[in-house]
Amino acid sequence: MKNNFDEYIKKFDTQVQKYIPPKENWTPSDHAVYGVKDFFRIPIKEAQELQFKAIKYQFKNHYENNKMYYGFCKEMKITPDNIKSYIDLEKIPLIPGEFYKDYPNGKDFALWLANIFTGDIPQVKIKGKDPNFDDVINSFNATGLVVAYSSGTSGRHTFIPRDRKTFDISEYAIAKAAITMTYPIYNYHMKGYLLMPNPFKTNVFAGKVCTIYYDAISEVTAAIDREINTEVIKLSMTGTGGFKAKLVQKYLSRMTKKIVNNIIKFLEKNSKEKNDIVFAGAPFFLYAVTKKLMEQGRSFDFSDKCAILTGGGWKVHEDSRITVEKFRKQMQDVLGVKPEHCVDLYGMVEGNGWMIQCPEGHYLHIPYAYYHPMVLDDEFKPIGFNKSGRFAFLDGTTYSYPGFIISGDKVKMLEHCPVCDRPGPVLEPEVTRAAGKEMRGCAEEVRRMISMDIGDE
Amino acid sequence: MVSLREMKDKEYIPQKMYAKMFIGGAFSLSKTILFNMGELKKLRKLPPNAERYIRPKRDYEIPEFKPSMKVINSNEKYLRPTLFCDHHDPEVVAFAHKFGAFKKSDREYAETAFEFVKEHLSLEICPLDGVGVTFRRGTGTCFHLISAFIALCRAAGVKARYKVFAMNMIQAWYETTVEADPLVKKWYDSMGYFMLEGEGEAFIDGEWVVAHVGPKAERQAAAGIPITKFGEDSIGRWFFAIPGTIMRMESIPYGFSGSTKFLKKLAPGSMERVNLSILKQIKRGRKIIEDAGGVESYDRMARAEKGAKKPKLEIEKTQKIVFEE
Repeated sequence: MKNNFDEYIKKFDTQVQKYIPPKENWTPSDHAVYGVKDFFRIPIKEAQELQFKAIKYQFKNHYENNKMYYGFCKEMKITPDNIKSYIDLEKIPLIPGEFYKDYPNGKDFALWLANIFTGDIPQVKIKGKDPNFDDVINSFNATGLVVAYSSGTSGRHTFIPRDRKTFDISEYAIAKAAITMTYPIYNYHMKGYLLMPNPFKTNVFAGKVCTIYYDAISEVTAAIDREINTEVIKLSMTGTGGFKAKLVQKYLSRMTKKIVNNIIKFLEKNSKEKNDIVFAGAPFFLYAVTKKLMEQGRSFDFSDKCAILTGGGWKVHEDSRITVEKFRKQMQDVLGVKPEHCVDLYGMVEGNGWMIQCPEGHYLHIPYAYYHPMVLDDEFKPIGFNKSGRFAFLDGTTYSYPGFIISGDKVKMLEHCPVCDRPGPVLEPEVTRAAGKEMRGCAEEVRRMISMDIGDE
Repeated sequence: MVSLREMKDKEYIPQKMYAKMFIGGAFSLSKTILFNMGELKKLRKLPPNAERYIRPKRDYEIPEFKPSMKVINSNEKYLRPTLFCDHHDPEVVAFAHKFGAFKKSDREYAETAFEFVKEHLSLEICPLDGVGVTFRRGTGTCFHLISAFIALCRAAGVKARYKVFAMNMIQAWYETTVEADPLVKKWYDSMGYFMLEGEGEAFIDGEWVVAHVGPKAERQAAAGIPITKFGEDSIGRWFFAIPGTIMRMESIPYGFSGSTKFLKKLAPGSMERVNLSILKQIKRGRKIIEDAGGVESYDRMARAEKGAKKPKLEIEKTQKIVFEE
């Protein structure tokens, strides 16, 4: 069994060779990612050693090469000398995720990106008198950097500047986590369907990080094959923008219908040709596909020939959200996909950690060889296992920005998975947003009250 | 009669961004109203037995004004009277002297003015009017309050201006309430163009210092956040401005007052409910502050709870970023 798995990972590594740096140049961060075969089955002691070395290496890197983070550490009175053993890791100063949402516009946005970057950035040339976010990001990315951003459900994106090395790790880690948990279903000749924007036409992190999909699988179709930039997202997510927003929303609604039909055609073709298939991306599209098939009284049987990897939440389709259990049941009933081949991924633009559900219990397993997870209380102090709180992490793989982050998500972490025998920590399957402090200005008060009055039946 | 030159100079003519939002909003709101006339009824009245809003009594006396009191008479930008903000109003001049105009340092004086406006003037949604009226009434929208602060500064020779922005929706509330109903979403989104938030800014020791005078301590306590101090910006702390919408202005522009009047006409019932809700927030916040042992200890607790410190970032220019115009 182990030999088979080793062979399985070897085949995957061969396909994605370009993401793996030469072994002689590996840093402790690279060892913790590329040097392990199964992220989720490393003996705890061994994983802690890898994790300690990777995180300490990155902490020293950011302390020495990032002025903003150096100042922050000085303020918190922590230096690399204070991090002597594994238990000291939690002393490392954490940056609230909101920090990466607090940026200026125009030319200052470019300078902001340069100022939060660790180390030297290449020369970036930005055209135009008043560059917008997309102009700035595209100029950075033209130099080989990968500036990507969150979908910004609230209308505010999180922007993270990655260098090529950091982004490669993220891509490799997401793909490896996915194929590890769906073992032994992966093979290069599968037909893939990406339920996300085409990674080559967007800088949205959830889409962009899927570029590796095109190398790991022989044939991939992207659901959204047009350019998706911050302006399009703003118009589709927040509803602001008047006539233009209406047009975009109308277009997106028509596009969703078209995507659903395309996916059904994809299912028909591959069912007929008996191909192995894999879907990766936003659950909404598959929900809409299976709903339509149910209405038509149709179904498929892809039992051992299909894997589904969901992630990224429901976004503008939040009103259609169903629980992960219901989702798996619907996929089994309509597409014949076994529940153990239908797993959800949890990750975020701020880090390279990809938590993925185990097929046995669907708990979210953490890649603990390079990623130190924490749950914090209301005073932002670690509270250990079995209690709900705010998710935070120390990411030992981010070279170009300090990936020591307090997220906005509420989780419960367990020391082991209650169902499977993988040794590392897990998160309970449903992750929610932590309640934030709210302040409404007078304008917001009025807006809210009128809206409530309108909605009040 | 104000000349065109003066209109431009004093920024009575809306900035491009403001005009863009205003026109876009007018179009969007008109359409929403036109297609949802039936819903308008809900905004217009309160049920017969509903609780009514009674304006709270102001908790201060207006000091005596004497014509001999010194006041700045300048036509310099940010020191001259502008729309709804005439610092020559007797109430403003009298308060300015009470707060130590021309005696204290600019910072000390501005801090005193900030504390007074923030903690003694209450939020009430009502059409825009002059600063003298605001001091007499003791209430106003955040723009009344900002104007009161700006007028006090200008009266004492401290340059002051408006900082206006469109706020991002509060996600948690938006998801649970607004997105649940497409009609509500339409109204909410179309109002977003007009519902601007703001702060004041005073020019002290060579830099603009922000003054977030809108919420009094009780309202901030009701929201569970620390009490804003002079110089602390609401943006990035408890508000997020929609990128590209932050505007700095010498004056409230033409059209702004019209939109508040229109809103009052459109939704008088809703306005009253907002004001009632504000009074309830203040009451709730007062209790929270009392339970915490006073404003200072509440603020300490709230700041400790806020806990997660953010790094400070001073954006520096770098030769690695080249702008090619």
